[in-house]
Amino acid sequence: MSIGPVAFLAPWLLLGLAALPILWWLLRAVPPAPARRAFPGVRLLLGLDDPERMPERTPWWLLALRMLALAAAIIAFAGPVLNPRAEGRGGPLLVLLDGGWADAPGWNARMDRVAAALEDASREGRTAAVLSLAAAPPAEGGIPWRAASEWQGRLAGFAPQPWAPDRGAWAAWIAGAQAGDFETLWLGDGIGDGGEGALAEALLARGPVTLARAGRSALALTPPWLEEGALRVRALRAGVAGAVPVGILAIGPDPNGIERVLGSATAEFGAGADSVDVPVAMPIELRNRVMRLQLAEGASAGGVVLADDAVRRRKVGLVSGRAGGEGQDLVDPLHYLRKALEPFAEVVEAPLGEMLNTAPDMLILADVGAIGEAERALLMPWIEAGGLLVRFAGPRLAASGAGQLEPDPLLPVRLRAGGRSVGGAMSWGAPRKLRPFPEGGPFAGLPVPEDVDISAQVVAQPDPDLPERVMASLEDGTPLVTGRAIGDGRLVLFHVTANADWSNLPLSGLFVQMLERLAQSAGGLGPAPEAVEGGIWTPLQVMNGFGELETPSLVSGIEGAALAEDRPSAEMPPGIYGSGERRVALNVMRRDDRLAPMAGLPDALVQEALDRPAERRLGPWLLALALVLLAADVLATLRISGRLGSGGARAVARGAALVLLAAGLAGAAGTAARAQDTSSEAAALYAANRTVLAYVKTGNSRVDAVSEAGLRGLSRALFDRTAVEPAEPVGVDLERDEIALYPFLYWPVTEGQAAPSDAAAARLNDFLRFGGMILFDTRDADLGGSLGGTTPNGRALQRIASRLDVPPLEPVPLDHVLTRTFYLLQDFPGRWDASTVWVEAAPAAEEVEGMPFRNLNDGVTPVVIGGNDWASAWAMQENGQPMYPVGRGIAGERQREMAIRFGVNLIMHVMTGNYKSDQVHVPALLDRLGQ
Amino acid sequence: MIEPRRRGREKPQGAVGLRRDAEKIAGALPPLLAEAEFLAGNVAMGVHGRRRAGHGENFWQYRQAVPGDARSMVDWRRSGKSDLQFIREMEWEAAQTVCFWVDGAQSMDYRSDPGARSKRERAALLALALSVLLIKAGERVALMGSAAAQPRSGRAQLNRLAMELGAEPADERPEYGAPPPDRMPKGARAVFLSDFLGDPEALTPALAQAADRGVQGVFVQVLDESEEVFPFDGRVIFQSMGGGTEFETQRARALREAYVRRLAERRAYLQDLARRLGWRCLFHRTSQSPRAALLWLYMAVGERA
Repeated sequence: MSIGPVAFLAPWLLLGLAALPILWWLLRAVPPAPARRAFPGVRLLLGLDDPERMPERTPWWLLALRMLALAAAIIAFAGPVLNPRAEGRGGPLLVLLDGGWADAPGWNARMDRVAAALEDASREGRTAAVLSLAAAPPAEGGIPWRAASEWQGRLAGFAPQPWAPDRGAWAAWIAGAQAGDFETLWLGDGIGDGGEGALAEALLARGPVTLARAGRSALALTPPWLEEGALRVRALRAGVAGAVPVGILAIGPDPNGIERVLGSATAEFGAGADSVDVPVAMPIELRNRVMRLQLAEGASAGGVVLADDAVRRRKVGLVSGRAGGEGQDLVDPLHYLRKALEPFAEVVEAPLGEMLNTAPDMLILADVGAIGEAERALLMPWIEAGGLLVRFAGPRLAASGAGQLEPDPLLPVRLRAGGRSVGGAMSWGAPRKLRPFPEGGPFAGLPVPEDVDISAQVVAQPDPDLPERVMASLEDGTPLVTGRAIGDGRLVLFHVTANADWSNLPLSGLFVQMLERLAQSAGGLGPAPEAVEGGIWTPLQVMNGFGELETPSLVSGIEGAALAEDRPSAEMPPGIYGSGERRVALNVMRRDDRLAPMAGLPDALVQEALDRPAERRLGPWLLALALVLLAADVLATLRISGRLGSGGARAVARGAALVLLAAGLAGAAGTAARAQDTSSEAAALYAANRTVLAYVKTGNSRVDAVSEAGLRGLSRALFDRTAVEPAEPVGVDLERDEIALYPFLYWPVTEGQAAPSDAAAARLNDFLRFGGMILFDTRDADLGGSLGGTTPNGRALQRIASRLDVPPLEPVPLDHVLTRTFYLLQDFPGRWDASTVWVEAAPAAEEVEGMPFRNLNDGVTPVVIGGNDWASAWAMQENGQPMYPVGRGIAGERQREMAIRFGVNLIMHVMTGNYKSDQVHVPALLDRLGQ
Repeated sequence: MIEPRRRGREKPQGAVGLRRDAEKIAGALPPLLAEAEFLAGNVAMGVHGRRRAGHGENFWQYRQAVPGDARSMVDWRRSGKSDLQFIREMEWEAAQTVCFWVDGAQSMDYRSDPGARSKRERAALLALALSVLLIKAGERVALMGSAAAQPRSGRAQLNRLAMELGAEPADERPEYGAPPPDRMPKGARAVFLSDFLGDPEALTPALAQAADRGVQGVFVQVLDESEEVFPFDGRVIFQSMGGGTEFETQRARALREAYVRRLAERRAYLQDLARRLGWRCLFHRTSQSPRAALLWLYMAVGERA
């Protein structure tokens, strides 16, 4: 039985509520018992008449309180359940996952929902099947019905795919499958592809269908493009409801090669809009590094676009008409171009004939006069395909006579013979300045500096079409830069030289800005279909459903035509494809794609929210409420009978009420309260405010106790002997605790230790990568030989280390900094003194000035691995006595001292890095300075 | 200063504490010079001149000898100056005797608030404080119905009083007290401290004796606050402290006015009794400061009757 969102497990108990009025009548009839009170003045009362003789009635509010308590108890025992799970209808249960990229943002919620559905089915003994629509329908065989419990174990194998589900194919398959009737739970991603209606119809033909969908469907991004100097990307959503903010991150390698967020932007879907264009403003140097753009929240393959050539660093070819002589850098026609372009473009210099093989986006010809027929035949198709040819004038161009008599296809305008210069035939009184750039031109908005003078130039013929080809001009209207579109490409002519001979334009910042504008406009069209067609493209990196790039496996090469036209699929996952030297990014969404909400669903479909509220038993809460009410009743009864005032009765009343209250709260807490762990913050503060050595909790209490005692002993030794003054060591649980706060982790390897989970492994890898150190101790004296897997602990270590980013290792070399950070050490004994100690392998030694010189990196070796059971040797009791014997007699104490020294060296190494390593060179440096 | 609500817990208990408290509140008062009056036979030598001739050490007056005076009484040095014979009279100096009755019945153990003083404690305090003053002034005090019933002066008597008043109450006590039938010295003063809630007839024997012996005194009715305002409500069975008397009411609140009226009647009776005997009445509440009561007692015991 259920009332609204509440169902009752034992509804017949609710009949007890009918008894409440009887109770009311009974309670009303019985007055509260009189209080007994000692009172010396009683003698004065004797013989007095009671003016109010009526028996006192229980006040109505007390009655109501008791009724409420009783009603709460009755309802509690009737087993109320909030948001009960629907009762199964019997028969097989088919769970359909869309399984495409749009499922990725809420994947865990979906999996939880599937797991809950399977658990219910398993409880009811139903068979089930879980299918992902993103996979292709099986060619043969029907729906794979199995026991629901069996599917529960298989759920971990499901993952969202980086393409969209093909619902139409599945609708056809289900319609044709020999499956009998079944119930369907369909977890839709909310994005329509036109096939959802057919699929729903096919499913409804077999039995009831429930469509569970998330409140908001996934967002997607289309490939970025450049516009007005900013990288733009379009965010898409299915449906137009409400104003939803969207954040975009631009990610790429920083100058050190570490991938990080280079820029970000936010925008908002307007109400009624299903897309929004987001400009991501950032300096061009950063923009050139952007590898991909992704949504700040809700990562999925559709929310990641890999940047391709459209926004990448431009490749600029430079060709000069004359070779610059030795020592003539400043008059080299290419010098200023190189300097200007290098910050934001890739500069290629090659002879003109070979240049086009490097596929530049932009080609700059500086004072190249005559262009041969063969080269002209190469250049024209290249420009028409989208290339940008920029030419600079100069004496050679002027002397070549190109374009003077008849239009030269490789010059935007016809030129007058001779040009003009200050003091020349077409005389200028003074060098000319620039006129502000025309609106709408490629240079619009650039500030014109006052100090740019043009003293010589080639002059365009005043043809009728000249004005529309002028991109920049001088004060007197003489064109300075002219341009003309050819096919998809463009031809630009600077009427001055690229060096400072004719003008000081190349010396000004304006020059750089103009080239930057031109470079931005170059290319930007992406790989045209023709460019991709032909040849086989092999995937270099593919995206998974969550938008993470992975190394591809089991993916064969793709025909270029398919790459250009087809949607991503299992055969062609989105990612980066390569053919020879060329790279093409294949994204989930293509330019001008839109997302549509699911439409055309039949009415018989039951739709519900994905994040269905959890089933919650209300019984304990109601019982607790009843107890609290009874406690209040105790107090209230005492109050009205006047007994609350006197000492003893009050104490009893308080006690009783508190017991009831405690019982109520404990009942409630036992079922529903979740322990709020505030200790983690305190632990973090402890670790962050002090130097704290930490050990990994293995779960073996004896090992953990030894680790703690060992680190305590080491901490004391450090405190006594060095400037490192650690606080008490702490144990960390790798799965739960934050380890980034500790500089050093001691990890005793035990046989039964589980390998860290993915999250823990990620944290550990971060820890190792950013300067933390882990001392792995197999504690078995390395009986299995060097890092062998023959001992149980060794195998455990291998199992653990396989998840970690452990660098190449080598036994500690004699000159390792670990041997001299504080003490000079030769070996590193612990409780045992047998095993080899391994550290990160140093790069090969180079001979420098006759000495072996290791160019050790600045970091600390992230791992030290050995089996000497150091913690036992360091372990110290509270009173400072060693906990375990080491060796025998004096030699044993010596070994313990060496073990402590190793610990001191180790911690100093963690704290100071290669400082001591550098110190080795101090005498040599001082010696040199002395000379 | 006296803060009765706190003292119950922090002070030293028993005789020592009581004595200390009593001396504390008595210390601020000037010595009490008790009037000596009407004391004929029961005269003891003391420091209080009676402004009349009598036994004493200080010269009072010379008077002419009359027939009947003993020869030995004639002051020959004065008589030698004239023809008449003079007798040298000394001032009559006598110590007053003050008899205390501190009701020790069970009803005096009552207190409405566990932090407050019981009536018995307050009565004992007042009695002892007054005793301190009296003994400082050289008077003699007695505690009726106890080991200190013999009137004496001096610190020893004060200590004895403190022992008696601070002692644990006996197990078998009446529920309501009556003055013990001790014989009071003639012309003594009496201070009766009780709640006077018992049968008023119980006072009659002691008062009759007092009237016979010319004893004047003071009734001090010590009551708890709840006994005055009757703050009870609900269905209550009221019991006397020993449980001997019970009274059940359905709604205690309704009895308040009747109770207060009866209390007023009882007080009127006491005052009437006092007026007839030449006594005085003080109604003291344990929630009030004992100092005011002591001042009042100081005035009442010390004033000329």
